[in-house]
Amino acid sequence: MAADAVQRQTVLSLRETIARIEDQRLPGSVRAASAADPAGFRRGRDETSRRRVLPVGIPELDVVLNGGLPLEGMTEIRNAETRDAGAAAGFVAALAVLYQREKKEKGSLAPVLWISQSLAAQEAGQPYAPGLKAHGLDAERFLFVSVRTVKDVLWIAETALSVPVFAAVVLEIRGNPACLTLSESRRLHVRARAGGVPLLVFRQAGEEEASSAFFRFQVRPAPAGERPLPGGSMLCGSIGHPAFHLLVEKSRAHAPLGIFLEWNAHDCRFYSLDERRSAALQANDEPADPRDPLSASAGRSHRAQPMGRLLAFARAS
Amino acid sequence: MRLVALDTLAERIGLKRGQGAAEARAMCPSLDVIAADPAADQAFLEALADWCDRYTPLVALDGKDGLFLDITGCAHLHGGEKAFVSDVLSRLFSLGVEARATVSSAAGLSWAAVRHGNVAVIAPGDADRVLAPLPVAALRLPAETAAALERVGLKQVGDLLEAPRAPLARRFGSFLLLRLDQARGEVDEPLSPRLPVPSFSSERRLAEPLQDEEYILELTRHLAKEVRALLERHGEGGRLFELLLFRVDGRVFRVRAHAAVALNDADRIAALFRERLQAVHDDLDAGYGFEILRLSVIRSERLDPTQEDFSGVPDESQPLAAFVDKVSARFGPDCLMQAALFESHLPERAGGFAPVRDVAAVLAPAVDRALPENRPLRIFAHPERVEATAEVPEGAPRSFNWRKTQYRVARAEGPERIAAEWWIDGENHPTRDYFRVEDQEGRRFWLFREGLYGRETASPRWFMHGVFA
Repeated sequence: MAADAVQRQTVLSLRETIARIEDQRLPGSVRAASAADPAGFRRGRDETSRRRVLPVGIPELDVVLNGGLPLEGMTEIRNAETRDAGAAAGFVAALAVLYQREKKEKGSLAPVLWISQSLAAQEAGQPYAPGLKAHGLDAERFLFVSVRTVKDVLWIAETALSVPVFAAVVLEIRGNPACLTLSESRRLHVRARAGGVPLLVFRQAGEEEASSAFFRFQVRPAPAGERPLPGGSMLCGSIGHPAFHLLVEKSRAHAPLGIFLEWNAHDCRFYSLDERRSAALQANDEPADPRDPLSASAGRSHRAQPMGRLLAFARAS
Repeated sequence: MRLVALDTLAERIGLKRGQGAAEARAMCPSLDVIAADPAADQAFLEALADWCDRYTPLVALDGKDGLFLDITGCAHLHGGEKAFVSDVLSRLFSLGVEARATVSSAAGLSWAAVRHGNVAVIAPGDADRVLAPLPVAALRLPAETAAALERVGLKQVGDLLEAPRAPLARRFGSFLLLRLDQARGEVDEPLSPRLPVPSFSSERRLAEPLQDEEYILELTRHLAKEVRALLERHGEGGRLFELLLFRVDGRVFRVRAHAAVALNDADRIAALFRERLQAVHDDLDAGYGFEILRLSVIRSERLDPTQEDFSGVPDESQPLAAFVDKVSARFGPDCLMQAALFESHLPERAGGFAPVRDVAAVLAPAVDRALPENRPLRIFAHPERVEATAEVPEGAPRSFNWRKTQYRVARAEGPERIAAEWWIDGENHPTRDYFRVEDQEGRRFWLFREGLYGRETASPRWFMHGVFA
């Protein structure tokens, strides 16, 4: 009997550890067991271990995000090609605006720190203050560092994550550098969680690679809507609010194939693009499965794997 | 080739400055002639001046081969003036420098005595007695004045001292009398030190030289505590700190660290130097170790003491300042930048980045300013040339070729016409027509056409200036 109980206790504690590592709420049975403290004291850890999130307001995105944008820890955003950097930067900046507003509502004017590898800033252009302001960001509270090597970028990011003043830290790198591997990303993630700062890793023109981020998105450009006229109709041929096509690449929740979002800088929030329009887009321009843009070639060794079969990525860097 | 400088041995043989090198070689075949390098000499003199910082902060350069040290109030620390001079000379001798020194109450008198006499210390009342036998050139006179004096038989300073002043002034100008009075100490002659004198500083002389960086940092922290006491007494905080490291072999390293807010916390000051030493690690060669460390406050400003409270609202300026200090200590003060908006029509001048100097500016509430709506999120520092085709000459592009890729424009907005700023660029700078375009996949770009058809140019060029979200 005693041996049985000890075994069960071991299994429970292992499950608890795994759940903590995976940062998920404990399953019911484990929670009940761990809450039953032998000394009879009630522990508050279930409350404290809950993730702090910031809901985006788009139901399908909030489901993917497991409640909302994480307010601490790492999120990765990448784009496939340099020419898409504008769209991806727009999405990252929009997230930064959300984080900054959240801090502002709590009464603190928190700056956003954008750390950029200088190569990335050269290739895709430097952030532009009037544009950032038009996007909804406080231009005065936008700090920008551009350093040459990825090591320096990581050093600054770690330093920034240890001071709890930033609304968000954006780390912009190009491609898949060899010095930002799984262990470094784990380190950054842990730092970000310890410091309570959201970290957005913005990978320009990079492959998907295993990392410790909670979520990874690929951002693709999407045709914007049209400008609304005062009467309620749309101005034909005009370019309205920026739109993004978001592919969820890493998430615990079941992810839809692609999410079409529109960023409204005046309201400082995302809107879902019109369903009909996104359906039309899917039908016209986008293949049905965004991970498999070409028709599968038959009988070849390198044909695309069906979804759900991929367990781990090879090192891209 | 002529000789410009000689050592004692060469002087003893009878060689003279200005002599031809071939002639000198004929007189002494074993002569070692080294090509003159005035820049290196100047650098060496400045290094020596740095080294002399160990005695006094007021060090001034004198021509190509001399240093003035204002040792007012310093000599007693070294056991009196005589001991001071012998300490300086013996240390310089062990560095391999042959030097002479004189201590007196006037800079002119010291200059005269050290170059033309051989007295180590001149008592305040002895000026006339020491000056009398020296040649008139000892008064730092222009060559023609000295020659004219010698022509009329006034060869020694003593002759000038006895001569009536009015005729001297009439004939040789008042400058001669000024120099004479300066040498006698009757007219004050301020020295201009080559470096600003720090307002607060604290130093440590070590019996055993120090090599390890950790120990240096530990000692810096101790020095910072002493400086903190000084700063607190005056109600100030330092903005610019300097750590002077005197190496055993005479080299002096200056490491400066900026602080984003006025600082008087020892740990924060030490942390500044921790990053700074990391950054200059390769340049800072400890060699056989450092014997003196000095921490100075170069620039300080008022710092009112604040009291911690229990309200629980964290003060954000302090951690932010610590971060700014850390980054700028490591990557230079211009690395960390803050987005800035400027009053300009031209897009590249309207927005930019300015180095973060003051943390308060980052945390200050935003100023509301009307800005143009359609501005890209990213901008290229240099607009990139594109090949564009438009349906009508003045119209929006139909397709364009950027970075070797063809883009077909699905929608376009524009033009937004932005003229050059004639008060900066001149009147002939071409006007730009900006178009906001979206390609078929939804990428949004900012293109402009440079020059107006017909009026400014016959074939305008197209440029890519930025990308939208």
